[in-house]
Amino acid sequence: MKLPEWTQAFGFATVFLPCLLLLIIGIRLLVGRPMSEERLGLYLKGTIGVSLLSSLAVLSSMLATGSRLELVDLGNMVEIHDVHFHLHLKFVFDRLSVPMVILSLVLCGTVGSFGLSYLHRDSGFQRFFLCFAMFLVGMIFASLAGTIETLFLGWELVGLSSALLVAYFHERQSPASNGLRVWAIYRLADAAFLAAAIVLHHKSGEGDFGILMGNEPWPAGTASISNGGALLVGTFLLIAAAGKSALVPFSGWLPRAMEGPTPSSAIFYGALSVHLGAFLLLRVSPILDQSSMLSYMVVGLGLISAIYAALAGRVQTDIKSALAFASLTQVSIIVVEIGVGFRYLALIHLIGHACMRSLQLLRAPTLLRDYKSMENAIGQSLDHGSPRIIAWLGASTQRRLYRSALERGYMDAILDDCIVKPFVRLFSAINCLELSWTNWLAGSSKRTENTSDER
Amino acid sequence: MSHAIEHAKHYLPTQGPIAVFIHHNTLHAFEHLPFDEAVLEGLRIYGSQPYWPEAKYREEMLRDRIQFQDLQAVLSRDLGQNGLQEIALGTTRCELLYQMLRFPVLTGSDSEIRWLFAQSDALDQFQDGVDLQSGFAMLDSTRHWIMRVLRIHLSEVVTNIPEDIREVFNHFPLRSVESWDDSKWQQLTLQLLWQICKKGVRFADQVKHRAPALHRHRDVLLKLTSFDCDLRVHDLLVRFTSSFLDQGFAGWAIPQREEGFYRCFLSLFAEKSLWTESWLRPLRGLIASERETVSNPLESIALSLDVLGVPEDKVEGYIQRTLLALPGWTGMVEQMACNASWTLHPAPKDSLSEFLAVRLLLDRLSASHCIAESPSASGIKLSDLLSLDESAKSDPRGRSVDQTAFDVFQIAQRLGWSPGRLHSWSVREWQNVVDEIARFDDLERRRMFHLAYEHRYRSQLLDAIAEHSQFPLKVPANVSFQVITCIDDREESFRRHVEELDPNAETFGAAGFFNVPMYFRGSADAHFIPLCPIIMVPKNYVEEVGPLSEKQAETRRAQTRLLLGKASQSFHLSSRSMVSGAATALLGSLNAFPLVARVLFPRLTSKIRSRFGTLVRPTVATQLRLERGTDTEVTDKGAEGFTLTEMANMIERLTGDLGIQGRFSQLVIVFGHGSSSLNNPHESAYNCGACGGGQGGPNARAVAQMANDPRVRTILKERGLHIPDSTLFVGAFHNTCDDSTHYLDIDRIPPNHVSKFLAAKEVLEKARRRNAHERARRFYSLEMTCSDEEALRHVERRSQDLAQVRPEYNHATNAACFVGRRGRTRGLFLDRRCFLTSYDPTTDDATTSILMRIMQAVIPVCGGISLEYYFSTVDNVGYGCGTKLPHNITSLIGVMEGAASDLRTGLSQQMVEIHEPVRILFVVEAKPEAIRSIMDRNPLIDTYIRNHWVQIATLDPLSNQIQLFQEYDFEAYEPGPRSLPTVSTSLDWYRGWREPLSFAKVETCASESEGVSMRGKETVEARV
Repeated sequence: MKLPEWTQAFGFATVFLPCLLLLIIGIRLLVGRPMSEERLGLYLKGTIGVSLLSSLAVLSSMLATGSRLELVDLGNMVEIHDVHFHLHLKFVFDRLSVPMVILSLVLCGTVGSFGLSYLHRDSGFQRFFLCFAMFLVGMIFASLAGTIETLFLGWELVGLSSALLVAYFHERQSPASNGLRVWAIYRLADAAFLAAAIVLHHKSGEGDFGILMGNEPWPAGTASISNGGALLVGTFLLIAAAGKSALVPFSGWLPRAMEGPTPSSAIFYGALSVHLGAFLLLRVSPILDQSSMLSYMVVGLGLISAIYAALAGRVQTDIKSALAFASLTQVSIIVVEIGVGFRYLALIHLIGHACMRSLQLLRAPTLLRDYKSMENAIGQSLDHGSPRIIAWLGASTQRRLYRSALERGYMDAILDDCIVKPFVRLFSAINCLELSWTNWLAGSSKRTENTSDER
Repeated sequence: MSHAIEHAKHYLPTQGPIAVFIHHNTLHAFEHLPFDEAVLEGLRIYGSQPYWPEAKYREEMLRDRIQFQDLQAVLSRDLGQNGLQEIALGTTRCELLYQMLRFPVLTGSDSEIRWLFAQSDALDQFQDGVDLQSGFAMLDSTRHWIMRVLRIHLSEVVTNIPEDIREVFNHFPLRSVESWDDSKWQQLTLQLLWQICKKGVRFADQVKHRAPALHRHRDVLLKLTSFDCDLRVHDLLVRFTSSFLDQGFAGWAIPQREEGFYRCFLSLFAEKSLWTESWLRPLRGLIASERETVSNPLESIALSLDVLGVPEDKVEGYIQRTLLALPGWTGMVEQMACNASWTLHPAPKDSLSEFLAVRLLLDRLSASHCIAESPSASGIKLSDLLSLDESAKSDPRGRSVDQTAFDVFQIAQRLGWSPGRLHSWSVREWQNVVDEIARFDDLERRRMFHLAYEHRYRSQLLDAIAEHSQFPLKVPANVSFQVITCIDDREESFRRHVEELDPNAETFGAAGFFNVPMYFRGSADAHFIPLCPIIMVPKNYVEEVGPLSEKQAETRRAQTRLLLGKASQSFHLSSRSMVSGAATALLGSLNAFPLVARVLFPRLTSKIRSRFGTLVRPTVATQLRLERGTDTEVTDKGAEGFTLTEMANMIERLTGDLGIQGRFSQLVIVFGHGSSSLNNPHESAYNCGACGGGQGGPNARAVAQMANDPRVRTILKERGLHIPDSTLFVGAFHNTCDDSTHYLDIDRIPPNHVSKFLAAKEVLEKARRRNAHERARRFYSLEMTCSDEEALRHVERRSQDLAQVRPEYNHATNAACFVGRRGRTRGLFLDRRCFLTSYDPTTDDATTSILMRIMQAVIPVCGGISLEYYFSTVDNVGYGCGTKLPHNITSLIGVMEGAASDLRTGLSQQMVEIHEPVRILFVVEAKPEAIRSIMDRNPLIDTYIRNHWVQIATLDPLSNQIQLFQEYDFEAYEPGPRSLPTVSTSLDWYRGWREPLSFAKVETCASESEGVSMRGKETVEARV
């Protein structure tokens, strides 16, 4: 067998094994015969381990042959000729996706093993790992996606599992409502993503990144659409990325997402999920090159988010929110780097940050011990006081700045007032109209309005 | 006003900052009430459950943790004479209630009951739990009744057979009555029974309950609009309060904290802001007017209450409910204001009323915004809201006829009440039965189950002790060495294994600070920490100092530590900041190595880390600066070190408590204990409670150093306490999490003693392995067939594993405390559930002053531990802190659940999951008179015992007679038949078993030669 076929096989295994894990856990749960904790652990470690080895094999064969682009094409899943619609599943292995997939597998493997002990004997053990496997599949799909449809599929799986795990402790109110908030913002991002995909299909007739970017290995491609098209698609994608990576103005959900068990917070909001927006921008970076306006927008959004997050992070008093904002700061800087055009730097930054932050989140509950040992080494109490820059400001400005940081930049209130309320109002108005219309048709006023006080 | 706040304060949780976790009675505020009433008050005020749910107790019945005879015993004891009263013809109250306990009485809504009769075989077959014989008896009596009476009556129209019963016979034509088989008779019987029950219950008045009153505006609005006004208030309040109380975690401290909670809030929220949540928009105006009209928080509270329309007579209740709406944070504000002078940023004195003032401002805004926004509440004035509470006026609701009838229907089957018999009941009998069933509601039944649960363990333990002390094992005459540990229940197994391995060894238990209260600072520590029970305030400061010969090396190591500490601090901060964070993150991939290593190979990683750690760790060859220098100042706060007299006093008292005086062996090893684990915000709770949540190693070391000091021994000798020159004390430390032991100051052991020490050490090494093995049976993640070595490795791994949420089980399963000579319990397998306090009644004086001071310490400490475990177990969400998995450390003072929530107090689900919630049972080797006189002298102990917060029994020092404190006084306890199994070793008993174990006699603990167990018989007789 020639080398490329081996590579194909390994590439396929990388994608397939996580899907297998999801299927096994899911089917066993569906038929009401969940696996024992030990067996589930065995499957988890086994599939992720072999998948990781396969991805490493792909990497080494690519290094050996000097190839910079390998494709695993599963063909069209759905094809409707009349309307020129097809859902094309294709995976690419290139300089962007291989590091990303290895990172995903290493982190998921480690955090998965962590979760096996952490959730030992918890009543939601199976549910956790079902969502976890779903997340893993989503990450692999999103990292390796060669078409925008594939990326969307992965993106959705990540979003769904993420919202479900935020609401993991659904017997309490705040996880459920925060999960809903995360879900709502993800939907907004998804809508933007979908719009981008449609425009892309419309402009180029293809969702294939290869054709779009000119079939050259990342990051060398050049986009094959017009400037205006690039700006339109890019703006939609930027909104999608901002929603997924919690950039301004969507940042409010990130600290609220720290509701699930510690390992899920670590892998989602410290490591992988939160970087997915930045990854999307990296993937379509040739489009950014096409339109300088777009690049300015990316840089601007990144900068604003970074400053915002650094400021809000300063006043957080609980470890998980503090780490959430710290994550956001770095993700925003990564976005800036992408906008400026430092693609490799952004990739290295992303990987480094993911490793560092997930370790920090995993050991978040050990904070008191860490503080004690630092105190002992330094020989006095730790008190960080206030940042030096702040001291230069007037007392009133200090208070205003502190308050807006404490209220997290009023991000949630702004979204509620500017998007949710008009949206709800519009639909209640339509509901009223419809009611009066149907009542008129029915010739009576029997039916009454059923209002829902969602938010 | 301030009186109302003062009063409401008592109901707040009293847990302080989590770094110092002290077990205490969760319902401390209700200790003046009997236990049973107090838990109901807890239900009323906190809404937290008083007992486990009934279903949980029934599960325990399946595990044989409750037996029918326990239920019977506690029921007849509880009812007393009333139990014998006849409720209905031929059935006493006791029988009726017992049947309700024995099998569950199902219930449901009317439609559920209808469904049950329509869809299940409830009308075809007797219920589960009706045995064959009583079933036949019931069929037989029904047959007689129908054939003898009913058949004739039915044929006559004039007799008053109700229509319902007549209808039953439409389906059972009496023509063919001769040919009916049993199943047909059964159907008929049940149908008749059901109809008669319905009919009869209709005669009786149903017991009615009022819907609970609504106390706060939020409650009324929640009912009116189904919108919870508290949510947004808490969202803001949690954020603000945690910033206000922050102990230096945030990189930017809240401005104007020093001005107090109220003013800090006003100044922060008086500023213009970019945007405001819509409900908060009027806040600026409110603050402006507040500043003009109000000069202090108390006035602000009065104004708010006025605006809210709280009537004068309800102010106290309103304030109480308002403070309890966010109990964790509110309680912490109070704790930081009153009991936290040792923290970095304590809160100002009257913070609680300031907090209340702010809270009421926000409540006002949230409620009026809710009224304005929702159509269903529009037009209502804020001040009228409380008087709107309809539920207080509405008619009380009772259970429906069908529900009650269904209860009677089930009970009738079990008690063999046949349809004929019920048919003949008078209205009075029906009323009696209905009342009785209603009175024995869910709460009452659960109380009975709880009592039975305690009864089961209590009778097992008392029987075991009575039998064991009747035939005690031989205690050694030639003692090889003696071990003194903390009284902690976790040391019980360790002591037992020591005695098993060396039958000539003796063990003792004393509160783990070993009567040396001190402030201690280790050679590499930043601060002095108190090492003594929380109720004491130490007066002496003890420091650990390095050896002179290594001074330079020590300084170098200290400098390296300082550097590393600074580095890790700056990493800690900068990794979260913007620019330097980017720099760190670029190199962040390096974190992958520790990440993978620590998660997948925790034990190995920790070994490597500690290998590197030796480069900077301070030397172990340190000394304690115990003795006060001649030129040391003595101030109010205390002084450095102890005087020789103080040392002699402490040793005299410790040895007196232990009853070890006059029988010192050549080697006495004193074990302090503590626990270390990772990713565990509650780590301090696992440490020694007698050391105020610290580790007891330094205390043990201090005791050894003092008792070895010849000058101290001289003073003691003058007082008549002789410690032989050949006796050596050695201090040691036992880590209860990874079962490691460290021996302190071993370089100072004189050469003559070395072989003796090494021999003892070998025994102790084996004992700790066996201890790890015995502990490991409770960990489901380890095979039960493992070897000692594997078990030890497993517990070592646990303590180093970031992912481990149960590093050890701490005091879980604690259930008893024995105060007396070890000889009475030596060799009894107590399953790590019993605190063991040494006390020798034969050496005590006539006023039992030794017992008095022992009881003063153990009753509140062990009682507090037991009660905190009790409440956190029966209602883990209400009294405990819920599951550990989403915990989030906030402000360095406590944990929240997830992103933001109330501060959670109490114990986590993972800490209590194997606990059996029973009140602790003290068994004291003394005469009941001694306890009575202690109760007279100490009101706290009296309250604890009389109000039944703890159970207590006495074991006669000279015989095996046991007296148990029942409702009002001690009563003789009749032990059950002899049944204590005998095993060779502990392993033989616990092998292959994960659940709690009953008692056994472990023979290997017996010494070859008879010793001094009943020594001093005459003196005791003379005294008591």
